[in-house]
Amino acid sequence: MHTLKKLTLVVSGVLLSSMTCMTYAADVPPLAPLGEVPIPADNPQSDAKVELGKFLFFDNRLGGDGSVSCVSCHLPSMGWGFATPISLGYLGTTHWRNSQTIINSAYYGKLFWAGSSSSLEGQAKSAAKGGVAGNGEDDLMEARLALIPEYRKRFKEVFGDEWPLIRNAWRAIAAFERTLVQRDTPLDKFLAGDKAALTEAQQRGMAVFNGKANCIQCHNGELATDQKYYNVGVPPSPLWESTAINQITFRFENYAKGATEELYRTAKADVGFYFRTKNSWDKGKFRTPSLRYTKYTAPYMHNGTLATLTDVVDFYNRGGVTADGQTTAFPKTKTKLIKPLDLSDAEKADLVAFLDAFSGEKIMMDAPTLPEYAPLFTKTELQELKK
Amino acid sequence: MSKQRVNLRRFMLTALGLTMSWQMSAVYADTSYPEISTLPDISYNKAKAELGKRLFFDTRLSGDAVLSCASCHDPKKGFSDGLALSNGYPGNKHFRNTPTVINAAHKKVWMHDGRLGTNLNDVTRGMLTEDYLMNMDMRIMQERIKQDPIYIKMFKEAGMGEPSNGKVRNLIPEYLKTLTSKNAPFDTGKMSDSAKKGFELFKGKAGCVQCHNGSLLSDGKAHNTGVPENLDVFLDPLRHQAFIAYSMFMGVENYMNLKRDAGAHIQLHKADGSGMGSFMTPSLRELKYTAPYMHNGMLATLADVVTFYNQGGGEDSNKSKALKPLNLSEQEQKDLVAFLESLSGDPLVGESYEWTKDDYKYEVIADWKNVPN
Repeated sequence: MHTLKKLTLVVSGVLLSSMTCMTYAADVPPLAPLGEVPIPADNPQSDAKVELGKFLFFDNRLGGDGSVSCVSCHLPSMGWGFATPISLGYLGTTHWRNSQTIINSAYYGKLFWAGSSSSLEGQAKSAAKGGVAGNGEDDLMEARLALIPEYRKRFKEVFGDEWPLIRNAWRAIAAFERTLVQRDTPLDKFLAGDKAALTEAQQRGMAVFNGKANCIQCHNGELATDQKYYNVGVPPSPLWESTAINQITFRFENYAKGATEELYRTAKADVGFYFRTKNSWDKGKFRTPSLRYTKYTAPYMHNGTLATLTDVVDFYNRGGVTADGQTTAFPKTKTKLIKPLDLSDAEKADLVAFLDAFSGEKIMMDAPTLPEYAPLFTKTELQELKK
Repeated sequence: MSKQRVNLRRFMLTALGLTMSWQMSAVYADTSYPEISTLPDISYNKAKAELGKRLFFDTRLSGDAVLSCASCHDPKKGFSDGLALSNGYPGNKHFRNTPTVINAAHKKVWMHDGRLGTNLNDVTRGMLTEDYLMNMDMRIMQERIKQDPIYIKMFKEAGMGEPSNGKVRNLIPEYLKTLTSKNAPFDTGKMSDSAKKGFELFKGKAGCVQCHNGSLLSDGKAHNTGVPENLDVFLDPLRHQAFIAYSMFMGVENYMNLKRDAGAHIQLHKADGSGMGSFMTPSLRELKYTAPYMHNGMLATLADVVTFYNQGGGEDSNKSKALKPLNLSEQEQKDLVAFLESLSGDPLVGESYEWTKDDYKYEVIADWKNVPN
């Protein structure tokens, strides 16, 4: 009985293996045009708030030593991300993961590669304060805002407070980021009925995406992500082994994120989602990123180990293995969804062509002229003080 | 001081009046202020102090790896910085004068406002982590130190095992124990005649001893002497922001509209606010190297300081009753300055006190995948 059942499973498994993609695809939402950006009820949009948020996004006074702002690691010219495998860090440090684009980030339920932040507001705060990011402190940043007359005026106008509050700075930045969306990509147009929006190669690539390659099993819906966490086989960053400053940050992050003594001593790769759940089966998992705007956001994956979209396709075609045979440091948690795809060169080329359709025009923006500090009191006011 | 003695002194002051100033010295000399004496020896562990020294001069102990402790506590400037107001961390500036760290190991309470009264371990932590000072996440600091093979070796040799942020907080104080007054004429007995006269004035007519007593020449308490505000604190937004952040953090009411430095009010918490504008009595040792003076650097020279007290201090409704015009002659003022100068010893410079090697480097940990972190 048992033998028969096993045999049946093996036989049917082999027969069905080419059909599994179809099975999965049927369970997931199809790709769709990107809808209206969601606005949280507790932080409604207004033009004045967005304008203030833009200033703050570019303002390096929202950080530790006045050398970094949001834009330092999310540059418009680098796809609102940063074009090195591991993002720029605070002066004297390096970051430890790849900088993600701001474009369409407003659609995510959770932010950061392991989803540690549940809102854009929270993300802005964490990034501005993190030791290897902005390294700012609330009290000093809030004091800085109070000494910039233009900000006093604008914060009062937008939030009604007599003095700028640092938490409202994050709300304004989030409001600004909610305007950084792209809903007119070739894919959006195609899905809205404009069949000429995609080339023939792209349309063939779309079929591979939805079928044989089965990318759709995770990259689905309007944002082209299920926003779930997987270990797809990305290897550890080679920088952990080769570069002193990266080794410092690697240990710091484990320390700071509350790794156990044992994990701190033994960790040699980013445990990702495990930092949040502390479930051993979540080691090495990261949130499925959107494929939108990826044309401009190389390199790819949570640690930037893949340089181009072609490399990404090759990586998945090998079943989550890089060209030099590298794969995840956590093989036990690697998702069963990732298997060698056996794509032909033509299919791979079509797939890469299709990935291009997730991005529209490059979104550029000039830095605003930032308002300056001014003394809060006049000399006379100070001299008149009776002690 | 007993209550009875206070009453007696008040009575005598009232009865004798200020005109009989020669008698005041007798009054003050009779009171039991701790004796002005040489500092006791402090023992320290040489290997640990050496480690602390290297840490003290290491810029990687600040957030952006730009400042070391020595950036503001410069051995060539008496472990101070020669500025009225300290520079602070890049991106802001500071709102107070940098005190010397010479003899800091002898103190029981630290900072101009006296907010740290436990030990130098806490002072070290405070200075390293304060956002307007060194803005260091000590977890990053620990990992930086573990990336420097010289530290690994020195920690091992000092019997300290593996570097950690807690150990750094013990090691810097160990180094500070080596920074004490050396060969001050007052301690060696080689004072000039003028300085000797100044010492008598100090204990007598000038009444300095009321607050400046004991081997550190400080009572370790807060007093309001009416030092005028340094308006740069408020007129320079880079300083003002640090002042606001500090006042906010310390729970000072109405901190946005504050136009004066609350000083020790932040730890005295007197309900009537009478602690406003009081500051801890500083030690008078090593002043020769640490101009300008007072908590905000408002007085440029020791002669200015003596002039200030000769006038009875500055203006403040909370000003200490101990301060009155002193009627010191020009010569008496000079003698006082000579005495103050006799409290400064040899400059603490050179290899015994400074880490002079430029050997601060990180090294890649070899065979990283196979060695424990």
